[in-house]
Amino acid sequence: MTGGDLSLSNVEVRWNGRNILVVKEMHIRRGEFVGIIGTNGAGKTTLLKVCCGLIKPTRGTVTLDGCDLAGLSAWRKANVRKHISYIPQAAEYNADLPFTLRELVAMGRTSTKPLLYPLNKEDYEIVDHWIERLAMSDRRSQTFRSLSGGEQQKALIARAMAQDPEILMLDEPCSNLDFNWKYQITEIIEQLHSESKITILMVSHETNLLPEGCKRAILLHEGGILADGDIEDVLEPNSLEKAYRCRIDILKFAGRRYTVNKS
Amino acid sequence: MNVTFYFMDSFFFLVILAGALAGASTGLLGAYVVGMRMPFIGICISHAAMVGTIYSILLGVNPVWGPVIFSALSSMSLGMVRPGRTRIDANVALAIFFNLMLGLTFLGIGLTHGSRSEVLGLLWGSLLFVKNSSVVVITISGLVFAVFAALFNKELKVLLFSRTIASATGVHESFVYCFFLALCGLILAVNLPLVGGLMIFSLITCPAAAAYQICKGHRSVIIMATVFGMASAVIGFLVSYYLDLPTGACIVIVSATIFAVSALYRTFRGQWN
Repeated sequence: MTGGDLSLSNVEVRWNGRNILVVKEMHIRRGEFVGIIGTNGAGKTTLLKVCCGLIKPTRGTVTLDGCDLAGLSAWRKANVRKHISYIPQAAEYNADLPFTLRELVAMGRTSTKPLLYPLNKEDYEIVDHWIERLAMSDRRSQTFRSLSGGEQQKALIARAMAQDPEILMLDEPCSNLDFNWKYQITEIIEQLHSESKITILMVSHETNLLPEGCKRAILLHEGGILADGDIEDVLEPNSLEKAYRCRIDILKFAGRRYTVNKS
Repeated sequence: MNVTFYFMDSFFFLVILAGALAGASTGLLGAYVVGMRMPFIGICISHAAMVGTIYSILLGVNPVWGPVIFSALSSMSLGMVRPGRTRIDANVALAIFFNLMLGLTFLGIGLTHGSRSEVLGLLWGSLLFVKNSSVVVITISGLVFAVFAALFNKELKVLLFSRTIASATGVHESFVYCFFLALCGLILAVNLPLVGGLMIFSLITCPAAAAYQICKGHRSVIIMATVFGMASAVIGFLVSYYLDLPTGACIVIVSATIFAVSALYRTFRGQWN
């Protein structure tokens, strides 16, 4: 593991004449697990998309392992992004296609191979390893669309890990899941982080979904960073009350922090 | 009598071969167009090709280059319409583009002096007037697309699933997508005189949509969409020939029937495979 270092400097994203994201400085070190939280419309997804180069900032630089993503051509940017795995929200992928689970996980190997080179036996060994690792061997030849929401999320994580990434970016990986699946998915993400030590950026609007392994949180509010640092310092009532504009209490249980509205 | 039979045989062979090839190549293309949830792009490009042909005829230039240039230009413009990057919804942008092409088509028809049969043939197609050279061109364009689909199979699969994931994770998404759109324009431009601007849309969408209903796995979708496209064209032609009905209409109805049967099959099978 050699990469996974990400920096944002004086980044501004303007849309329809207003700033939707302003980040003066942000540095994510290799191997960190960072939770990005905030209210609806605070700019969480925009920040994640800026970090992986999907949104080009109006101003400022986004540096991934020393390369300024904004200054690269599409071809070179694709080469740099080979080390990023990204799991978007459900609206950004087509879950109705009849891809089998194995085909879907194999998509993770695509960017590890040059154009025109097909996947080989070794690639499929990696694919099968991740299917097995996430306990989905019995679902291997089932279609993605026939899986439950939680299983689909596991399949997407297997696809992301098959890419052998240095950074894993997850955008609300637990939305629309029941509480048991939310717990299982976050447990899997935490295990992957402790085993592989990859950098993880996870967007979530539920604070209790950030697992114990997540030591740093970034709280966004109206497109700006309201707090950034140790999760204990960020997830405290004063900061959260400023963002959510209501009286808040934090309850800790089994290593997780539950935000409770006191008003 | 013998001469008539000979003519019928060669006529049958050529028309069925041309129909089968056109159906197969549009069916194969449709598997990607429908899978990427952009059937409107297909109809936009086919109408751009139609505009190119009409204005080539009007200006008295070679009608082969007009549709190729127009469809290539429209493919490139549509390549810039990307979800989340334009200020208007991509489907709205495509609808506006389609309306513009339709307007230009009817303006071109209105400006045509004398017989309009050649121009109107572009709307409905002229499968019954197919030439040997058309079969060769359709075969070559279909083969070029099939080779492209085989060579970029792994990238196309990610693009089908999610262009966002493809772009974020280092797949050469822009390159493959633009290449795909250019070939999309080529396939539509060469099939347009034969299949017609109005009917080509049904050959792109119905066979592929039927394949997506019943298939499991990417490869089976590709094969079945191609087979369904071919079957739509051949069965449609045979029905029209024996019942003396309009060829284009029969092909459209057969392709829609194949879709309906596939949808019913999945419903009665009672499972979401």
